[in-house]
Amino acid sequence: MALKLTFAGRVHILEIVRRRPHLVVSIDGREHEIAATGDGGDGRHTLEIAGEALHVARAQVGERQVVRLRGRTHEIGLIDPRSEIAETGAGNDEVKAPMPGRVVSVHKSAGDAVLRGEAVATIESMKLQMALVAPRDGRLAAILRGEGDSVDKDETVARLEALTSED
Amino acid sequence: MTQPTGIARAMPPRSRPLPFRKVLIANRGEIVCRIARTLRELSIPSVAIFHAAEARSAHVRAADEAVEILGETPVAAHLDGGRIIEAALAAGADAIHPGYGFLSENAAFARATAAAGLTFIGPGADLIALMGDKISARDFAERHGVPVAPSVISDGDAASFMAAAERIGFPLLIKAAAGGGGKGMKIVRSVEALAEATRSAASEALRYFGDGRIYAELYVDRPRHIEVQVLGDGRGGAVTLFERECSVQRRFQKIIEEAPAPNLADDIRERMLDAALQLTSAAKYLNAGTIEFILGSDGRFFFLEMNTRLQVEHPVTEMITGIDLVRAQMEIAAGHGLPFQQADIVRKGVAIECRICAEDPERDFLPETGIVQYLGKPEAPYLRFENALDKGQKITADFDPMLAKLVVHGETRDQAISRSIAALEELAILGVKTNAEYLERVLAHPAFRAGDLHTGFVAEHAEALNAAPLDASTLDHVLIAAALGFREFRESVFGAPEPHATIGRWRN
Repeated sequence: MALKLTFAGRVHILEIVRRRPHLVVSIDGREHEIAATGDGGDGRHTLEIAGEALHVARAQVGERQVVRLRGRTHEIGLIDPRSEIAETGAGNDEVKAPMPGRVVSVHKSAGDAVLRGEAVATIESMKLQMALVAPRDGRLAAILRGEGDSVDKDETVARLEALTSED
Repeated sequence: MTQPTGIARAMPPRSRPLPFRKVLIANRGEIVCRIARTLRELSIPSVAIFHAAEARSAHVRAADEAVEILGETPVAAHLDGGRIIEAALAAGADAIHPGYGFLSENAAFARATAAAGLTFIGPGADLIALMGDKISARDFAERHGVPVAPSVISDGDAASFMAAAERIGFPLLIKAAAGGGGKGMKIVRSVEALAEATRSAASEALRYFGDGRIYAELYVDRPRHIEVQVLGDGRGGAVTLFERECSVQRRFQKIIEEAPAPNLADDIRERMLDAALQLTSAAKYLNAGTIEFILGSDGRFFFLEMNTRLQVEHPVTEMITGIDLVRAQMEIAAGHGLPFQQADIVRKGVAIECRICAEDPERDFLPETGIVQYLGKPEAPYLRFENALDKGQKITADFDPMLAKLVVHGETRDQAISRSIAALEELAILGVKTNAEYLERVLAHPAFRAGDLHTGFVAEHAEALNAAPLDASTLDHVLIAAALGFREFRESVFGAPEPHATIGRWRN
């Protein structure tokens, strides 16, 4: 069975080569023997890979694993083979909040035409204001959040109409 | 407060019991835990306040009791001085410690606290008002011989403005008197460039702000932000507890502070401490305060402002002097006067504070949110990890992004840096992105090691402070460690059901 892991915008293929006497996996074709696998829970684990002891801290965060190794923290996703398209995401029709916060003003209404880079709304987080701009030229299909609403990181604040031949 | 070994200890034994029945701490987060710790040592019961959204926070458990403050948002609750004073009275407290931020520099709150018959742990409302207004603070400092950056404002006559500007010297910063935001701002480095800069600044000022008046002040190249910790007895008696270097900043906010300031010439340090002492004494300042200076590469320094409260970075001063500043605040507020003479205050070693913030250094330090899924705190006798973090805690955008402070002491600056780096590596906060690794890279940067600091440090070294890409072997190790956390992978390796993997899901 091959697993597809996503890390820093790339997909890596992990395959199980052998299970016994020790687990051997290949990552993008590179083989590694894992003599100590730790348990599957969150927390600190000591792994042994190719004879080297590795001290890691790991936690499941949503659908991802966050791994801390040698003083650096990394986030790794797993592509569910049933919904492989999920990780690619189109997104060019959406105006998203890059940080959590509160909507301080909405500059457009649904149906308005916008140019790429034009501000659709302004959000504020911890005294920091940021304009959310249209990712492309188009027409606003819907504005999903209003003044005073709070938004999560990556939440869609407004949606552009899908591109048609007239646009 | 338990003083770890290796750190100076200078607090004299308490001679008289403090007259406080109970103290309400009008704050949240790590500073509540820190203040409650000292109050416990002084056998004074503490009261925390909280908004419903933070009812289960560590700071609520750190105090002996806690009172909910109603408010539309958590921040609104913490800023509701009237309700907080009512809560203090209802809890039987006779004093309020405001911590930092929130109401700590709110003169009306200090006045209302006193009017309610409670002791405000800090200076009086008048001192807060005097220092809280930039103009009145600057005028006061200037009147008492503390250097302020020379400046001149135009009265419409370009010739007299230029003559006055020339007397200040170069480089000069010329800007619109009415404006802000860099519009119409010019740096003038020689007298030859002054006339043209004056003309164009005035015309831009008129165009952008409808007001042609311009303002010139001394421009400080590669400025350092250095501040002096003071204590005053309210009658003119004052001591200084040395300085702190706070130059490493992002978004105009400090991220690394240290004491003492590195590479600071003895005569400059002495003059700075003297100026701070003079100001504290002249103001008849009461309680703990901090006087901030800007220091130019030419050795000239100027008064910026005075903070009339405990600072976020106060622990670095505590670590080099062995003085518990909260306890000193309580002694002074009790009317016992200054707990020590200047000669008693000596420093030992170097202390560095790193502010651990929920933010993404790779995205211009924008705040991050999340849930703390795993928390590993560094421990060593020479460090303080000041925090109010819990596993499972939600990090929201309701409050400041600072999650914790790592404060480390060393015999030498090099040792303090190395120990800080090791402690940052040991620290693990998983589930919310933090600047911990970025701070590590700052500490490890040769310019930081050399003490070559100024407020533009983060911008100047931006490229070198980016994370290096992972080497192939580390990348594989990271991916293996991650795979071992995915139930799908463990089941296909160990066969389902794999008990540990399942338990891993249930825990917490």
